[in-house]
Amino acid sequence: MAKPDSKPKQNSKPKAKKHYRPAGKKKEGNAAKYVTRSQAVKHLQVNLPLFRRLCILKGIFPREPKKKVKGNHHTYYHVKDISFLEREPLLEIFRDKRAHEKKVKKAEAKKNPDLAKRLRTRAPTYKLDKVIRERYPTYIDALRDLDDCLTMVHLFAALPALEREKIEVQRIHKCRRLSHEWQAYISRTHKLRKTFVSVKGIYYQAEVEGQKITWLTPHALQQVMPDDVDFNVMLNFLEVYETLLAFINYRLYHSINVKYPPILDPRLEALASDLYALSRYFDVNSRTSVVDPQVSSTSGSEQVETQKVGTASDESELRLAQLQHQLPSNEPGALMRLVEDDAGDVEEDDDTRECKKLFRNLKFFLSREVPRESLLFVIPAFGGVVSWEGEGAPFKEDDQSITHKIVDRPTLVRTSLSREYVQPQWVYDCVNARVILPTEDYMVGKIPPPHLSPFVDHESEGYVPEYAETIKRLQAAARKEVLPLPGVGNEDVEDPQKLLSEGIIDRAEASEAAERKRKMILEQNRYLDELKMEVEGVQNSSTPSDNKQSSSKETQAREESEPDLEQIVEDHANMSKTVMSRRKRKIYEAMQIGKQRKKAHVDLLKERKKKIQAAKESEEN
Amino acid sequence: MKIKGEKKKRQSVRNSKSEEVEEEQPSITEQNKLKQKQLPSHSDSDSDPDYGSPYVSDSEDFPEDGDFDGSLSDSEAGESGSSGDEGVVNSDVDDGLHNDQENQSNSSESHQGVEESDSSEDEVAPRNTVGDVPLVWYKDEEHIGYDLNGKKIKKRTRKDKVESFLESADDAKNWLKVYDEYNDEEVEVTKKELKLINRLLKGKAPHSDFDPYAPYVDWFKWDDAKHPLSNAPEPKRRFIPSKWESKKVVKLVRAIRMGLIKRDKPKEEQQFYHLWGDDSSSTEKANHLSFIPAPKSKLPGHEESYNPSLEYIPTQEEINSYQLMFEEDRPKFIPRRYTSLRSIPAYDNAVKDVFERCLDLYLCPRVRKKRINIDPESLKPKLPSRRDLKPYPVTCYLEYKGHTDAVVSISIEASGQWLASGSLDGTVRIWEVETGRCLRVWEFEEAVKFVAWNPLREIPIVAVSVGQEVFILNTGLGDEEEQKNIKELLHFETPVAPDDSGDKVSVASWHQDDKHEGIRLRHFKTVSSVEWHRKGDYFSTVMPAGESRAVLIHQLSKKHTQRIPFKLRGLPVSSVFHPTKKIFFISTKKNIRAYDLQKQKLIKKLETGLREVSSISVHPGGDNIIVGSREGKLCWFDMDLSSKPYRILKCHPKDITNVAFHRSYPLFASCSDDCTAYVFHGMVYSDLNQNPLIVPLEILRGHTSSNGRGVMDCKFHPRQPWLFTAGADSVIKLYCH
Repeated sequence: MAKPDSKPKQNSKPKAKKHYRPAGKKKEGNAAKYVTRSQAVKHLQVNLPLFRRLCILKGIFPREPKKKVKGNHHTYYHVKDISFLEREPLLEIFRDKRAHEKKVKKAEAKKNPDLAKRLRTRAPTYKLDKVIRERYPTYIDALRDLDDCLTMVHLFAALPALEREKIEVQRIHKCRRLSHEWQAYISRTHKLRKTFVSVKGIYYQAEVEGQKITWLTPHALQQVMPDDVDFNVMLNFLEVYETLLAFINYRLYHSINVKYPPILDPRLEALASDLYALSRYFDVNSRTSVVDPQVSSTSGSEQVETQKVGTASDESELRLAQLQHQLPSNEPGALMRLVEDDAGDVEEDDDTRECKKLFRNLKFFLSREVPRESLLFVIPAFGGVVSWEGEGAPFKEDDQSITHKIVDRPTLVRTSLSREYVQPQWVYDCVNARVILPTEDYMVGKIPPPHLSPFVDHESEGYVPEYAETIKRLQAAARKEVLPLPGVGNEDVEDPQKLLSEGIIDRAEASEAAERKRKMILEQNRYLDELKMEVEGVQNSSTPSDNKQSSSKETQAREESEPDLEQIVEDHANMSKTVMSRRKRKIYEAMQIGKQRKKAHVDLLKERKKKIQAAKESEEN
Repeated sequence: MKIKGEKKKRQSVRNSKSEEVEEEQPSITEQNKLKQKQLPSHSDSDSDPDYGSPYVSDSEDFPEDGDFDGSLSDSEAGESGSSGDEGVVNSDVDDGLHNDQENQSNSSESHQGVEESDSSEDEVAPRNTVGDVPLVWYKDEEHIGYDLNGKKIKKRTRKDKVESFLESADDAKNWLKVYDEYNDEEVEVTKKELKLINRLLKGKAPHSDFDPYAPYVDWFKWDDAKHPLSNAPEPKRRFIPSKWESKKVVKLVRAIRMGLIKRDKPKEEQQFYHLWGDDSSSTEKANHLSFIPAPKSKLPGHEESYNPSLEYIPTQEEINSYQLMFEEDRPKFIPRRYTSLRSIPAYDNAVKDVFERCLDLYLCPRVRKKRINIDPESLKPKLPSRRDLKPYPVTCYLEYKGHTDAVVSISIEASGQWLASGSLDGTVRIWEVETGRCLRVWEFEEAVKFVAWNPLREIPIVAVSVGQEVFILNTGLGDEEEQKNIKELLHFETPVAPDDSGDKVSVASWHQDDKHEGIRLRHFKTVSSVEWHRKGDYFSTVMPAGESRAVLIHQLSKKHTQRIPFKLRGLPVSSVFHPTKKIFFISTKKNIRAYDLQKQKLIKKLETGLREVSSISVHPGGDNIIVGSREGKLCWFDMDLSSKPYRILKCHPKDITNVAFHRSYPLFASCSDDCTAYVFHGMVYSDLNQNPLIVPLEILRGHTSSNGRGVMDCKFHPRQPWLFTAGADSVIKLYCH
């Protein structure tokens, strides 16, 4: 840093007035970049509700200028955002709509119902596809922003149609359809990762194209319609979300070669088991799409067969598939399995494969009182087969191959010994743990173990609930049991090369990890040593120079210095804090406060736990 | 359905009515009989079955029905006697009435059974025994009506809602059932009736065999008529196509051709397509502003589970304590535990939560904020290792005890062998540094404010400020020759005559002090500090209350006092001489001014930005100054760099009482009322391009607080990296490396 001359800077110019701007000079800075909402409304020549609607449709939001020129109590929009709205064709359409409404009103006032009726059929319409394209330039962008969309659509799928709030039946049905389409896709492609039953509803997390999408579905109960909610706003949002979700569904369906919009089995639809109907549709569709290329490949393989003997198993599988192709499609279980076998996608990642296998050989039967829609979605997503009590179910309750019956009743009426009777929470917990948990705790009539959120990172939270540890142990056990097995079973003995190389890689990785760990430990040790050295240094420096000091004093000093290790550490922290710049110090202190708050929360939890345990023990005694 | 039911009810009611009437009022029937006898001859089309009148019978008790009958019979009459005039019709009405009554009485008398069988629709006998009374009368009764034997007919047991709902859910034909209140039974609508209702709903005739568009039967015999009804010639319009119609058609055709009239297009469904194209990597860049994505909603934690671990559920006391909190601080979500999935109730705020999210999305201003997600430790600056910066004072090595009150000021002799200390107990002590032996004690009447050794080694004298006086004391150290010199120096016969101006005299006056063997300088205000010039001849005194004459410079050899020729702005705190140049620093509470003594003008003004400066120290190089303040901040000024502090260190939570530079080592220290003293490494480089390096080295503790004051003074040893601290606990400590 060069040292400037030591003369203090002098303000020779007279200071201009603060807000003075010469005539003709353009505005600059924040005054030019931002306008308040009322300015924007005036500029666009629309009324406030329409402005809000446009903002919702176009996804325009107020921004926070660095300096609020008009004052603190205004909302500021960026000028560019407003000009973006100004050029929107929707604006013109909305104006047309307004004019059209006036025409209808006039016709009605003139007692001309025919004209009014005719006019009503010709109201200007608009489409939102361009808007959505603008808002989400890429497909990934759209996926990234899907959380709110899905939550809203799922909520509306559960709401009653309300005349007074202008919630039409068609919209509710559309939402239902869209949500089922989405769920069917997720379930079919095994993209579901986590589920969580909360008081607010059921949370799901899926991973599509690497994007984690979380949404909330309300419990399947009568929803409370609050009075202090402006449904117009929600419906405006819903308009965008419906279109967005439809386009995304279209894309997703086409990615697995299924036509969109799907045509459903009207019988199943009438039975309100849309999801199952959709899955049936998938099966039929993807069967044709998947099997067809295989037919061609069979012909190819037949040619090859003349030269090569082998792939016999493949052949038989294919034939089986073809046979099943000819079977009437009323055997969903078989079909499902077939599809599962065939759709061995190459690009599936490990996670998907793991999810697909979870309930692989299990057959579930849902009792009447369990949340059917949710379980019909979750279980197939993890490779299970489900049926339910009621019409249209793929198999009946007396099916002998059912392994699990999901019951949510206070007492159990056991009818079959071959199956396990579990509470629905078992399914969700298994899914989150990715392990088939033991069913003893989830027996009917018992209070199940706590249901834990899969979204919590225990490390950063600092507190691990007891059951999480149990699950961890179970997971570890399962891995130990299961993991080596497929290595032996699946890996063909014929290519030991591969095995070997894998082993080498594994070893290399392991050694690397070990190295890292060792380094970490070394580092830690060094730090500790340093600290110790420092403390000792303090003592050492004092020992040689005590030529004139009485020995009692020296020991006293040592006594003083020894328990002060903590003090020294604290001093260390303090000292570096003194040198920090003010801004950094403030940040640091804020962080410390956050840490303390978190710690307080954890402490509270621990304390409660201790109390609960104490109470339990005293009860036992 | 309803209509049918009512109809049936009505019929049955009427039947029952007639029965009742018969039973209860036999007199009426007798009357009827009489009437019948009186008017024997009337048998019109009464028995016409189409109108269903035979069993529609009423006595005068029910006037409306009577009217109805009357009108019916009226029409009958009209039909029968079309050619009759009004009078005839009237009479006919009467006739009809009578007829009816007669008929009714007939039927009721003779064949009741026939009548029942007559109703073709219901096989079940009408059991209603209530009559046409409002059902409300029977609301609270257990029975409904009476049977033929006069016994009460019990009502069926009421089903509760759940039961009936379950029943209805199970029964597929539930929607066909209607509850008949009068009969207290459920009636199932038959297929036939259903059809009839459907037809009625569509606005068609009730019976399917009825043809509303039957070909017109012209009852009028045209052939035999001698005269046509009208003899007018056929008008032209009967056989010429309408001109106006054709005009209208032409108009419409034209309009259609010109495209003025558009056909209604079928409502088209939204078509979906690959909105984002097939390639996922669209390079198209949006030309509008950067989109700030809204933050995603927080993911739920364990406490939101329907069945959380027990420790997440607050106890009742905690929930009660939430009520005492401010509304904003109150937790919005209180975890609850439901033991099974079926017991979860609907979430009340489901819609509201989503609505609030919507509001957030379109009403909340968005800013891109950099979120610091770093380890807080990384914020700490990288400091050079303290081991490399040794030596510096680390531990307490010696304590000098002897004072009885807080030691306010200390000073070390230039050789580093002696230590002078002044205390509030009014004593000044001289200590031997190495041993801690107290060499000498002076006692004064007032508390000692400041002590300062003469910087020259040859003149071991101490300046002590006590109240309004400054004493120059001979310590009696040094060899004889030096003692002689000192005695000479400190000796003057006559106090300086007030010859110049009265002003000067009043500022300070020199006196010989025999008691303490030194000189006594009497000031007009309390003196707070005394600072020697490096050459040991001049020294300055500061009187904070002295206003324009607050700072004085005295010359020892000439026993001369002078005011500084500068105007002071603000309250002076202390003054220092520059270590090498002829510059004099005066610090006021806010600023520090550097004056050139030779040219007698202001060189520089340093703006501390502090609230109240308490102490100042100049680096031996002369270009750097440290300033301690009462708010616990320590400012380092690099005079070459700027008039603003180069670095502000906030280290003490309480007032800084003193700051000190080491004369040879790159060390400086600050001591404060929080009973600590900080030792810093402060390296000043001769290379002008390099900024001074400041590293905190050590926090020295050991003093205890008394009266809210901690460490009062700190001074470095002139040659060793040792620090002396004077505490309010009347102890002086020596910290060594």
